[in-house]
Amino acid sequence: MSEPVLAVRDLTVDFSGPAGPIPVVRGVSFDVHANEVLCIVGESGSGKSVTSLAVAGLLADTAKVGGDIRLGAIDVQRADAETLRRMRGEDVGFIFQDPSTTLNPVLKVGRQITEGEVAHGRLSPSEARARGVTLLREVDIADPEGRIDQYPHQFSGGMRQRAVIAMAMAGKPRLIIADEPTTALDVTVQAQVLAVLARRQRETGCAVVLITHDLGVVAEVADRVAVMYGGRIVETGPVREIFRAPRHPYTRALLRSMPRLDGTDARLDPIPGQPPVAINLPAGCTFHPRCALQNGRERCLRDEPALRALAADHTAACHFAEETPERPPALAAEPRPLPAHAAEAPLLEVEDLRVHFPIKAGLLRRTVGAVHAVDGVSLAVHPGETVSLVGESGCGKTTTGRTVMGLIPATSGAVRFDGQSILGLDRRRMRKARRQMQYIFQDPYSSLNPVRSVEEVIAEPMHIHGVYDEMGGAPWVAELFDQVGLSRTMMGRYPSEFSGGQKQRIGIARALALKPRLLILDEPVAALDVSIQAQILNLLQDLQRELDLAYLFIAHNLSVVRHISDRVAVMYLGRIVEMGDRDALYERPSHPYTQSLLSAAPIPDPAMRDRDSRIVLEGEIPNPAAPPPGCTFHPRCFRASELCRREAPRFERPDGLATHLACHHPGPLFDERAPRAMERAT
Amino acid sequence: MKAAFGILGRLMIRPGSALAVLFLTIIALAAIFADLLPLDPFRQNLLHSLEGPSAQYWFGTDELGRDILSRVVYGARTSLLTAAGAVAVAALFGIPIGLIGGFFGGWRDAALMRFVDVLLALPAILFAMALIAVLGRSQVAAFIAVGITGIPAFARIVRAQTLALRKRDFVTAVESFGGSSGYNMFRTILPNAWSPILVQVVVLCSIAILLEAALAFLGVGVAPPTPSWGEMLRTGKSYLYEAPTYALLPGIVLTLTILSFDTIGRALGSLLEDRHDTGTATAGGVTS
Amino acid sequence: MTGYILRRLLQLIPVLILASIGVWAMMYAVPGGPVAAIVGDNATPEQIAAVTRQYGLDRPIAVQYLDWFGSALVGDFGESYYSRAPVLQLIGERLPATLHLAVAATIVALLLGIPVAVASALRPGTLLDRILSGWSALALGVPTFWLGILLILLFAVELRWLPSASGYVPIWEDPLQALRNLALPAITLGVYVSGILARFLRASLVTELRADYVRTARAKGLPERQIVWVHLMRNALLPFITIVGLMMAGFIGGAVVTEAVFTYPGLGRLLIQAISSRDYPLIQGCILVILVLYVAINLTVDVLYAYIDPRIDYR
Repeated sequence: MSEPVLAVRDLTVDFSGPAGPIPVVRGVSFDVHANEVLCIVGESGSGKSVTSLAVAGLLADTAKVGGDIRLGAIDVQRADAETLRRMRGEDVGFIFQDPSTTLNPVLKVGRQITEGEVAHGRLSPSEARARGVTLLREVDIADPEGRIDQYPHQFSGGMRQRAVIAMAMAGKPRLIIADEPTTALDVTVQAQVLAVLARRQRETGCAVVLITHDLGVVAEVADRVAVMYGGRIVETGPVREIFRAPRHPYTRALLRSMPRLDGTDARLDPIPGQPPVAINLPAGCTFHPRCALQNGRERCLRDEPALRALAADHTAACHFAEETPERPPALAAEPRPLPAHAAEAPLLEVEDLRVHFPIKAGLLRRTVGAVHAVDGVSLAVHPGETVSLVGESGCGKTTTGRTVMGLIPATSGAVRFDGQSILGLDRRRMRKARRQMQYIFQDPYSSLNPVRSVEEVIAEPMHIHGVYDEMGGAPWVAELFDQVGLSRTMMGRYPSEFSGGQKQRIGIARALALKPRLLILDEPVAALDVSIQAQILNLLQDLQRELDLAYLFIAHNLSVVRHISDRVAVMYLGRIVEMGDRDALYERPSHPYTQSLLSAAPIPDPAMRDRDSRIVLEGEIPNPAAPPPGCTFHPRCFRASELCRREAPRFERPDGLATHLACHHPGPLFDERAPRAMERAT
Repeated sequence: MKAAFGILGRLMIRPGSALAVLFLTIIALAAIFADLLPLDPFRQNLLHSLEGPSAQYWFGTDELGRDILSRVVYGARTSLLTAAGAVAVAALFGIPIGLIGGFFGGWRDAALMRFVDVLLALPAILFAMALIAVLGRSQVAAFIAVGITGIPAFARIVRAQTLALRKRDFVTAVESFGGSSGYNMFRTILPNAWSPILVQVVVLCSIAILLEAALAFLGVGVAPPTPSWGEMLRTGKSYLYEAPTYALLPGIVLTLTILSFDTIGRALGSLLEDRHDTGTATAGGVTS
Repeated sequence: MTGYILRRLLQLIPVLILASIGVWAMMYAVPGGPVAAIVGDNATPEQIAAVTRQYGLDRPIAVQYLDWFGSALVGDFGESYYSRAPVLQLIGERLPATLHLAVAATIVALLLGIPVAVASALRPGTLLDRILSGWSALALGVPTFWLGILLILLFAVELRWLPSASGYVPIWEDPLQALRNLALPAITLGVYVSGILARFLRASLVTELRADYVRTARAKGLPERQIVWVHLMRNALLPFITIVGLMMAGFIGGAVVTEAVFTYPGLGRLLIQAISSRDYPLIQGCILVILVLYVAINLTVDVLYAYIDPRIDYR
C-alpha cells in the first residue's frame, strides 16, 4: 500500500483544568491515504474535533499534545512554527463547522480565499483576483466575478461554506480536514455542499478526514470510518462493514438507536445513561456503564480494551467483540395502534393562519413590506394523535407553533382549541386556555431558568396559575419526576447540574405539570446526541399513550418525524405544500419539494448511496420578505412550467394521489429525471 | 447568602482583590467608627497651620491648623456616603428603565432610551455641576447629582441583559404558561441579571467617589467645613509651594480607594464571566 | 448614506429638545425661581417687578420657553450677567483653547493606549499582560486632579521646566510655547484616557482572538503578523473608533477638572466660573454649546463607523 498522507500514532491531548489535566483525546491512531475519505464519527465530547485540530497543530498552547503525527514528511509534533505555517494551506486545508463565523466579516470573500496562496508566495497579488474567480467557479458559485468583491454577510450559508471549501482547496493540499462541514446547513443545502466537496476531492485526489456526528453523512461519503467514544477510537473499518456488521457494542447500539427514514414502527433501542465526560471517565472500558454486552463481567470494569484487529482492515476495542451479534435482530415490530380518537372532533384547529412581520425602512421607519413568515396554514390535531410540521429553516414551522401557543400575535386566521377560538382572548381567558396546551422547547440548555432549582422550575406553572395545592403540591411534582424517568433525589438541584437529555426531561415534566391535553414540541430532540434522542423519543411515545396526549411536533429531521408521527405536513416558505398520513407521504410523496427533501436526506446505509433517484435542489430558500410569484417553489423546482411562475397552486387532494398538496404538476417520482438538478448532482 | 460568601472567597484568592477588599474594609471601618478615634477634624490651631508631618500631626496640618489625618478619616464618610447614595439613586431608576425598555421594546424603549441619551449627551461632571448649581451644595445634593449621572450605565447594562435574556427560552416558557410581564421582568429576568448589576454597583462606587472628589476639587462639592478628600486637594493645590506634603495623604487615600473598587469590579467581572466593557467605558468622560 | 445621516439627525431632534427644556428649566428650579436667579435672594419688591417685566417672566410658561429656544437656535443666549458680554462671544473666545487641549490629549492617549493594549492582548495572562493591565488600572484610577498636582510639583515646582499654570497659545503662532503650555494638561488628560482606551481595546482584541475566523486564518497558514494586523485589527478597531470619538467629545467641556488644575482658559473653566457666579445665561449657553458639539462629534463617528463597517446597511 502507498504511504499514507497522514499517519497519527498514540495521539493524546490534555486540557488544563482546575483539578489537574483533563484527558480529552487518549491514544488515537489512524492513517489516511490519498483518494480516501475517512470519517471520524462520535457524539459530543468524544474528542473528534480536538483530534482534528491537533493534527494541524491548531490547538491553543494550554492543550498538551502527545504522540506522533506525520503529515507526509513533516513531523507535526516537532516541527517549528514556520514549517507548520507552511504546512497549513500547502499540505492541509481546513473546513470548519459554522460558515457564518469562519470567514472574517470585514474582509472581502475574494481576498480571503486567495490570501493563503499569496502568503505562501505561490500567487502574486495582481493575479489574486482572477484566481479567486476561478476558485469560486470551481465550487459552483454563480456570478463569481460579481461575488468576489462581496463580504461574507452578503453570501448565504451554503455559499459561504462553498467559499470555505474553495479556500481550503486553493493550495491543492494533500489533506482536507472537514469538521462538521454541513451541520449548520439545511438538508437540501447540505446535499449541495457534500456534492461539491466530493467532486473537488475526486478532481484533486486529496485525502479527506471528515468529522461528523451524523451517521447519515458518514454512510453517504465515507470510505473508511473511525468511531470515537470517550476520547478513543473504539472501532475502525470500511464503511460498509461498519454499517453491516458493527463489532463494537457502542457502534452497534448507536446504529440501532437511530430512527430511520425508511423506518419501521419498531420502538427505538436507546443507549442507556449519558455519554462520558472527560473530567470523570469510568474506569476500565469507558463504555461499560452503558454496554449491553458487559453483563457484570469484571474485565470490562478493570481493563481498558485495546484496539485489536478482527478482520483485515477492521478493528474494535472491546474485550468481547466476537460476541456482538453479526446482524442486529430487529425488535418485534409492534403494530402501531391507530389513535382511537381520530374520528372525534379535532382538539386543535388552525385555519388559514397568517403571521406577517412588518419590515420598516426609510426616514420615518415606515412599514414598507412584510416578512410572510406564516402564509395561510390550516391543520387539525385530534386527541391522542401526533401531527408533525417539517421543513427547512425559515419555512415558518416554529412561528406556526409559537403563534398557536399565543406567543406571537397572528395577523389573520383562526386557532380553535376544543372548539373554542383562542386568538384575541383577553389575558385571563388566554391563561385558562393555556392550561390545556403546553410548549416544549428545542434547546434544553436555554429553556430552564438557571437560578431556580428544578423542583421550582417544574412547580412554576402551577404557581403562576395559582393551582399548586389544588394540583397536589410537592407529591405531584415528585410524581412528575417519576413519570419522566428522573430520580426524586435530584429535585433540589439546579439545571446546570443536569445533562442535555435530563434537562429535556425536566422541560417535559414542567409541561405536564398542569395536565395538558396538547403539547407543542419545537424540535425537542434536535439539540441532543443521537443516543439520547432515542431515549426522549421513547419517553414521548410512552407519555402519549399513558396520558392520551396530542402532539404538534415541529422538526427538520425527516427520520425523527417519520418515527413519531401519525400525520405529517411539509412546509415551504410559510405554507404547507404537502400533507398526509405518514406512510403515504413518505412512501408516495407527490410534491416535488417533498420528493427533493426526502431524497436529499442522508440515509445511514452505505448500500443506499448510489440510489439513482437523487435530486439535489439548486439554489437556496428565497427570502420570505420577497417570495417568488406564483408557486413559491418554482425557482428551485425541476417540474416548473410557465403556469407555476404565474399562478399559485391550490391546496387540494388530486385524484389518485394519497396526499393533499399544492402543486400544478403533482405526481409520484417515477423514472423521471430532473435534468437540471441532476447535472449539478453528479 | 451562601453564594455571596462563595464569591467573596473566590475574590480573596487573588492577591490584588484581597488587598483591595482589605483596604476598603479599613476605610469603611474608619468611616463608621471615626467618632471613637482620638481625632478631631474641626479643631483649629492657627499657630500650627500648614505644618509638615510631626509627632503630634502625623500628616501635618492644613491652612487653619487642623489635623490632616483626622480630616482624611472623616472625609471617608463623605466619600462612602456619596457612593452609597449615588448607587442607590442610579440603581433605583436605572434598573427599572433598562428592564422596561428591554422587555417591551417599541415606543416605551425608544422613549426611555431618548431620556438616557439626554443624560449621556453631557459629560457627567458637567451634569452634576449643573444640578448642584440648582440644588445647592450638600451631601444629599452630591449623591443625587452623582447618582443621576450613573443612571445611564445601569439602564444600558440592564437593558442589554434583558434583551439577551428575553430571547432565552426560559423567559418564553414563563410566557407560554401564562406568567405576566411583571412576573417575567422581576421574578425571571432580574434574578438572572444580578451579576452584571453587581459588577456595575462596584464600578459605579469607584466612579462616584472620583466624581464626588472632582466636584469638591472644583469647589462645588459638600459645603465646608465638612471634610472631603477632593476639597483637601483643592486647598492643597493653593499651597503647593508652602506645603508640598499637604495633598499627599488625601491624594493617596483617594487613589487607593478608587483603585480598590476598580480592582474588585474587574475581578468580579471576570469571575462572573461578564463583559462589562460598556460599564468601564462609561467611566470615560466622567472626570477628565 | 444620505438617508442614514438624515435619519440619525432626525433622531437627535427629540434629544436636543428634551435637553434644551432641561437646561432652560434650570432657572425655574433654582429656589426662588428665575427672578431670584437674576437678581439674587435679597431683592426688593420693586427690583423683582422690574426684572419680571424686563425679562417677560409674567408671560405663559410655554411662550417663555419658545422665546428662549427660538433665540438659542440662532445662537443668541443673551448676555452674561457678570461681564455683560454676549454669551456666544465669551464661548467663542474659549473654544480654540479647548480644541487645542482636546487634540493634544487625544494624541497622548492613542500613543500610550494602543501599544499597551496590543502588547498585553497578544499574550493574555503573562507577566507583561498583568503589568500593562495594572498600568491601565493605575492610569484610570489616579484622579486627574491629583496627577496634575503631582506633575506640577515635579516639573514646575521642583525642576522648573514647565509652567505651573498653562495659558493658551495658538500653535500656529508659537509652536514651542504652545507645546510647553499644553504638555502637562495634555499628559494629565491623555494618561487617564489612555487607561480607558487600553482596557477597551485589549478586551475587544482578546475577544476577537478567540473568533473562528482567526483559527481559519491560521489554518490557511497566514503569518502571525498578517493575522494580527489585517484580520484582528480590522475587527477590533471598528468599535474602538466609537470609543475614541466618545473620548474626544468628552474633552469638549468635560476637561473641566484638568482645566481647573492648570488654570487653562478652556470652555470648562468658563462654565465653572459661570456656575460659581450664578451667571445663568452663561451656564445655559455653555451647556447647550457643549451638548451640541458632543452630539455632533458622536454623530460624525457613527456615520464614519457605518461607512467603514461593511456589515452595516446604511440605506
